[in-house]
This record gives sequence, C-alpha cells and structure tokens, in this order.
Amino acid sequence: MFDELQRSVEAAEKMGAEFVEARFEDLTLRTLERTDDIWKDIQIKSRMGIAITSYVEGVTGFSFSASTKTSDILVAAEKSVKMAKASSSAAKLKLPFEDGDPIESKSSDTLSVKIHPRDQDLGYKTDLVNRMVETAREHGESIRNIRGLYGELYGTKQLVNSDGSKIDWQFLVTDLRVSVTSMTQSGAMVRGADGKGGTHGLEIFSEDETTPEAIGEAAGSRSKEQLKAKACPAGKFRSLIENRLVGVLAHESFGHLSEADFIVTGGSPLTEKLGTTLGTEHATIYDGGNVDIDKYGGLWLPYDDQGIPTSITTVLKEGVLKHYLHNRGTAAKVGQDVTGNARAVTFAYPPICRMTNTYFAPGDLTEEEALELLDTGVYAIQSMGGQVQGDGSFLFKAIRGYWVERGQIQYPIREVALSGNILELLSKVEGGTKELKLSSGYFGGCGKGDQFPLPTGLGGPMLVIDGVTFGGEAG
Amino acid sequence: MDYDSLKDELLSIADTGLKYAASLDKSAEFEVFLFVQSDIEAGINQGVVTAKDGIVMGNAVRAARGKKVGFACGSGIDAERVRLSADEAFGIANSIDVEDERFEGFCDSGASGKEGNFAKEILELGTEELLRSCEEIIKEAQSVDERAKIISADASASWGGYAVANTRGLLLGTSYGDNGCSANVQAIEGDERKGAFEFDVTRERVFETSGLGKKAAEEAVALLGAKKLDLTTKMQTIWTPVPASLYVMSSLGQSVLGQPVVEGISPLCDRIGDRIAHEGLTVVDDGQKPSGLGTNAIDHEGNAQRRNPIIEKGVLKGFLFNTYFGRAFGVDSTGNCGRGSSPFGGSTPYESTPGVAPKWFEVSPGKSSEEDLISSVDEKAIMVKGFPLGIFHTNVSTGEFSIVAGEAYLVEKGEVKHPVQPVSIAGSFYDGFKNLTGIGNDVLPMPWGVESPALAIDGFSIVG
Repeated sequence: MFDELQRSVEAAEKMGAEFVEARFEDLTLRTLERTDDIWKDIQIKSRMGIAITSYVEGVTGFSFSASTKTSDILVAAEKSVKMAKASSSAAKLKLPFEDGDPIESKSSDTLSVKIHPRDQDLGYKTDLVNRMVETAREHGESIRNIRGLYGELYGTKQLVNSDGSKIDWQFLVTDLRVSVTSMTQSGAMVRGADGKGGTHGLEIFSEDETTPEAIGEAAGSRSKEQLKAKACPAGKFRSLIENRLVGVLAHESFGHLSEADFIVTGGSPLTEKLGTTLGTEHATIYDGGNVDIDKYGGLWLPYDDQGIPTSITTVLKEGVLKHYLHNRGTAAKVGQDVTGNARAVTFAYPPICRMTNTYFAPGDLTEEEALELLDTGVYAIQSMGGQVQGDGSFLFKAIRGYWVERGQIQYPIREVALSGNILELLSKVEGGTKELKLSSGYFGGCGKGDQFPLPTGLGGPMLVIDGVTFGGEAG
Repeated sequence: MDYDSLKDELLSIADTGLKYAASLDKSAEFEVFLFVQSDIEAGINQGVVTAKDGIVMGNAVRAARGKKVGFACGSGIDAERVRLSADEAFGIANSIDVEDERFEGFCDSGASGKEGNFAKEILELGTEELLRSCEEIIKEAQSVDERAKIISADASASWGGYAVANTRGLLLGTSYGDNGCSANVQAIEGDERKGAFEFDVTRERVFETSGLGKKAAEEAVALLGAKKLDLTTKMQTIWTPVPASLYVMSSLGQSVLGQPVVEGISPLCDRIGDRIAHEGLTVVDDGQKPSGLGTNAIDHEGNAQRRNPIIEKGVLKGFLFNTYFGRAFGVDSTGNCGRGSSPFGGSTPYESTPGVAPKWFEVSPGKSSEEDLISSVDEKAIMVKGFPLGIFHTNVSTGEFSIVAGEAYLVEKGEVKHPVQPVSIAGSFYDGFKNLTGIGNDVLPMPWGVESPALAIDGFSIVG
C-alpha cells in the first residue's frame, strides 16, 4: 500500500496541503465468548481502510475510505484538503508544526512472540476459554452466571507522510478473562473476575500465574468470598488502592487531564501548571508506548498514528507537573517535545491526543508495610472502569476489597464506588509498593469523544492514599 | 451512492452476497447485513477547528450449520469483501465443535415497519454550514458572562441505511438520517470549574442553534459558587430530564433486554404483571415514532420495528427481544435487534453480532412542573443536572448504583438554595422506581435514545 499512500500524499500536497499523512490498516479482530455452557459469540472482524489528514496553516481536514481503490483514496485526499481549507478561516487557534526528519520503521519495531494467535486454530482458543470457565465453576459457589472471553487483535499499520516517513509495523493484543456472578442467600448478586491481556503471544497462557486454570480459580474463589462480603461503609477513609485500580486512577483522572488538546484549549485544570507541585513526592506518573512488556505487561506501541516514535514521558515527577501528552501541533504550541500520543481508534477517525501505557511509579513498601501504613480504612481492589470530568472529579468502581483495622484485614467488602478530585488526591498519596504491574486488553478500552474502544495500558504499584470518598450505604 | 438510491443498492448487493453464501452449502443458513452511513462532523473548541467527512461502509455475515453459528464482518460492501466475510463465517460454523443450544435459526421473513421522518434539507449540509453553526453557538455563549471561559460547539449531519437478507427469504432495507448541534461551556472562577451543555438533535428539520450557547453558558455560570454539602444522609433527589433519562437507560434500558432476562441476571426476569414502580410511571419503547432517532422500518436482523409497552402505571408489562432471545423465552421478537453496544449501534454496527437494544424509550410525563417538584420539598433535597459520573457503571443484576453529581443544587423548604460541590448519590435503581415522589411534565428527547421528564425520588444515600 506504500505506493498508493505516497500518491495520495503527493496529490493532497498538489491541491494545497502543507503537510499530509496517509495511513492504512488491515487488522483482524477475533472474539470468543462463552456464557455458562453456551458459546454466545464466535466471530472474526476484518478492518481494512485508509485515512488521510491534510494540514493547511495548522488546521486539519480528515477523510477516510473503507475502499482501497486508487480512485476512492484520491477522493478522500481531495476531501481532506478541501475541509482543511474551509476550516482555516473559522480557526482562531491554529496548531502549525515544523516538518521533521523522515522516519523509516525497522522489523524490530514489531514485538516478536512465540505463539502468534494468527498461527493457532479456533480449537486452541476455545480450549483456553473452556479450561478457564470449568475451573472457575469448580472454585465458585452459588453461581448464577459465568462469562468467559477471549479476544485477539492483530495486523498491519502503515503510514506515509510529507516528511518522507515510511512506517510499517504489526499491532498485537490478546486477552483472556472471566467473570463469575454468584447469588447470596438474600438474593443479591456478587461478582468475582480475573484476566490477562496485553501485547502477548499465546505462550503467556502457559505461565503459572496466567494459565486459564489460574485465572478461572481466581475469579471463582473471589465470587465465593464475595458471598460473605459486607457493604462498604460510606464516607471518607484512608485507603490502599491495588495496582489495577491505581492504573485506572492514573489513566482516567490524571492521564486525560494531561492530554494536550485539553491544554491548548484551556479545557484542562492542568493548563499553565507546568512546574507546579500538585502531589506528594510519592506521586510520579509516566506514559509510554515502549514499556518493558516482558517484565511489567501492557501494550506495545512503537509509533503513534502521526508516525511519531513513542517513548516514556514523565508526566508528573515526585508531585511536580513536567510534561503533557502531545500530537505534533500541540507540542509545537506548548513548546515541548512530541511524545507519540496521537492515536486513532480506527482508520475512520483522525488521530487525537490519547494515552498509551499510563502508570504510577513504584515506591519502596512491601504489601505488609503498605497495610501498616494504611492502618484503618479500605483496601480497594480491581476495577470495573471509571469516569472523569473536566475539573478532575472522578468516580471509579472497585470490584471488591477489604476493611482493614490497625493494619490487619478484617472482612471482605462488596463492589464499591470511589470518588474524589484527582488534584486533591495527589496531595494525599503517602506511599507505594515496590512491585509495578501493567495490564491492557482487547475488551473494554478507552473512550474519548466517539473514539471507543482504544486499547491502552495502565497500572502502577499499590498506593496508600488518605481521604478517598467511598459510596455505599449511608447510616 | 446517494440517499435516494441507497436502499435499492444495498438490497441488490445483499441479495448477490446471499446467493454467493448460499452456494457454499445448501443445507446451511446464511444472513447478510450491509451498512452505509455518511457522516459530516465539524467542531470548534476554543478556536481549534476539527472537520471530518467520510462514508462508513461495512458488511456482516452469519452462517449456521444446525446450532453451530459463525459470524464474520468486514469494512467495505463490495462483492469481494462480502464474499470474504461469507467464507470466514462459514469456516467458523464448519470448523467449531461447539453448539449454541439456544439457536433456532435466523429471523423469519415478514412485513416491514415504517421508516421515520427525514428532512431532506439535512442532505444539503456541508462542512462550511456546520462550521458556521458552531460559530453562532460560540458567539452566543461568549456574550453571556466573562466567566464562561471554555466554550466548544459541534455540529453534524448524517444519513445512511442498512439492508438484511437471509436464507429464510428475507430481503429488507431501511434508510434514515438526522442532524444535530451542541454547546459545551465551562465556567471558571478562581480554582472552581463548572460545566454545562445543551443540544438540539432531530431528523425532522435542520437543527436550530439559537439559544443553545446562551443556555449552556448561563447554566455553567449558575453552578459557580458551589458550597460543600457536608452531610451523609438519606434524602430526596430531583433528577432533571437529562439525568432522569440516563437513570432510566442505565436501569430499565438494560434490565428489560432479552439477554439478562433469559439468563436470569435481570431481577425483573420473573416479575411480569407485578407492580415494580410507582403507579405514576409508564414506559414504552417505541421503534415506530416518526420523530424517534431509533425509528426504522426494520431492526438489525430484519424484524419490523414496533411499539412495545414496558411499564404501565407501575406494572411490568413486557421485555424487549430479538429473534434469538425471543425464541429462548418462548415469545416473538419485539423488533429490538440491535448491533453494537451504544444506542443505535454506534458508528460501526456491522462489527457486532446481533443483540437486543431499545429503539426509543419514552417515559410518560406526569403533571408536575419543575417548580412544583421543587416546591414540594419539605426539608432538603438534591437537584441533579447534566451527566452524573458513573451512571452507566451500574450492575444490572443488583441495580445498585453509586454516582457523583457534579452539577447539583441544594433544595430546601421548597426553594433552590445554592449549587453544591460534587455529591455522591447511591442506592438501588429498582427501589428508586418504587420511591418516586413526583414526575415532571417536561419531556425532553435525548440523543441517546430516550425521552424522559424530570423524576423526583426519595431514599437514596447522599455523601456530600
């Protein structure tokens, strides 16, 4: 496709575009879903198309096509230039950028795996789900419903632009997860869940902690434990937040606020706050596409969708705001380096400022020391997602947790909502554990505007935070 | 491809695709779904302009050999792409050794319903007109108050259609279109930021920008000066139409759908005929309302869309089904097949297997004006506006929810006192329907597939 993309770049330049990027993707997505004993979904998707962004005086026009015929690609190129020109007069804030050096991808940019999902048949994958669901059933109790999921997303991403860059790499995400719903004697439904997702070959499901049996056992026994769980008391408590939930905090609350499209428009409360102390010395947040997947897990992204190589950006260092997450135009506007954060959910969308892997840096505590530091409060674990508003207010759901008194776990608590304002919360981070864990996946994903679901990675250590508001029952 | 010829073209391609699929195995069942949607979008956010124009096209094929079902889909609707999906879907159905015990075949061929209204002036809208509308909205918002600082406006116009063909003799299509615009304003004073939004979405006329920017700016500014509630207690809440509609969609909008009903996850699954809500509550899902944004001649598998009662005077009357879950429950489809998770299937419904989705939830209005609801508060109540955080992170099986209302006011002794800092509201959606203390008369249609009046509810936990 390089030649076709190159021709469209040249055509758009001739029509007056100052900079053009042309993308092609040919991705395969496979979903397997088993509910109880029924295969709900066995499906495969082919997502192929081209996308063209033209830039005129720092203003963009975007078009796309599901057809890869030369004539349709050229129509998209023409539309994108016309839109950029039409938009130019209405734009009061323009985001021009300088051309860069051409970048050419290498074969080593694609992470190599031992067992690629492309090379395994359907039976291999249904077997993973079956083993996971059966083990979950063995370890659960009063089960009402078990849902096992397998997902894979892989394929080619190519990009050509006016810099002369030629980028070609292979995207990969795999995911295996299970959710067990049990019913208590009083008729209430409780859940246990576990899973493993990210840029991994299927060999990950042969490793001890992430075999289908280990995942199934964890989910089954958690749903069993939840049968005896009490409602979390409502109010403000000290809390110990587990790795995945810490990741949701880093992503949902802080990460989105640091996306530079919200900065250049003044929409984020982090606008003009570079160098400001927002948190304690224990609060350090990174975002990066080239994390050490073997060591920590996560999502492998060597380039963003503007063709910028990714790196690890220190967004918040020991409480001080250092950097935003940029596309080319916002980086030039703010006067910072590009960070490789321009991402599009599919070819039918323009790249916008998005996160890659967003995580808190680890601290120096063991889990026992973290519980001691917590003293009395809520140990909140796992996440069902969350949401944030422009002012930094957030709400997340923890799937489960424990009530802790004087550093000792007392009893399990049910699903509970955590809320607060991230900018207040960062100043209450008292410490983190040593172990850094990242996760990503095929299911779920990040939403911004109508671009959903975009695979991202997130995580961190466990963090001790003072004064988190927990929903639940008022007395 | 244009609006007038779209449906015929889709029917022709679907028919050709189905013939190819059927040739793979005469004893198998096949279904072909084709989707095309043209979208033009423009937005201005603090002077930064974004514009997008393109046509989404996609196909999906289901193949069934007995109870072994395969699904494959792809971008594009040309014959080669449809053939690829047919081959993949058949390959899955042919190779798997697992059966879907509930599967009883695809949708039977039947009559079509009616398409919704569509104002063809919408077809004339281009990037320049949309940008001009955004400029009008912004200008209006800027004129309200200098504290209305962060202002953005968006406008969009779309039209499209889909067709379904299957080996039970079904070959039907539908076309539709709509347009809309919205204003988003953040008011800032010191460290305090408060947001509000307004919108106009319709299929019956070109959208109207007048008043949107002004109203959003006024709402945002009014929220400034929020005081801490400093209470943890149970009290009444008044949900204005926007959050009330979200309350309905995140509770009933999920628990009356075929899947949780058949799987026994919905607490309503065995409650037909029971009083489950205050007698003032009547809810209908209307897939044939001419102005409804979800109205189409057929649903996403070819059943005629129709009007379905859900709750009548507080009594649970019915659930919503597609063919698959209807048969599993022993009833007919209600014309509620939907592909995709968001209302109306999102931008690429062809990428999802057929599920069950509301088409247009209508909550019948009551008799109380907003002033009546406020003046009826004896002690204290929280009035919720805008999008509460976490409203869609609800567990359908328990009905328990916990949200944070960022746009909220304290109501005391029949009067709105002042805006409050974000409050957490928690409780059970289902208990809430029983504890309705008032229903507004101010129904507002929402872009997310529902129209609802304001609802006043007693008994939720408030943490401020």
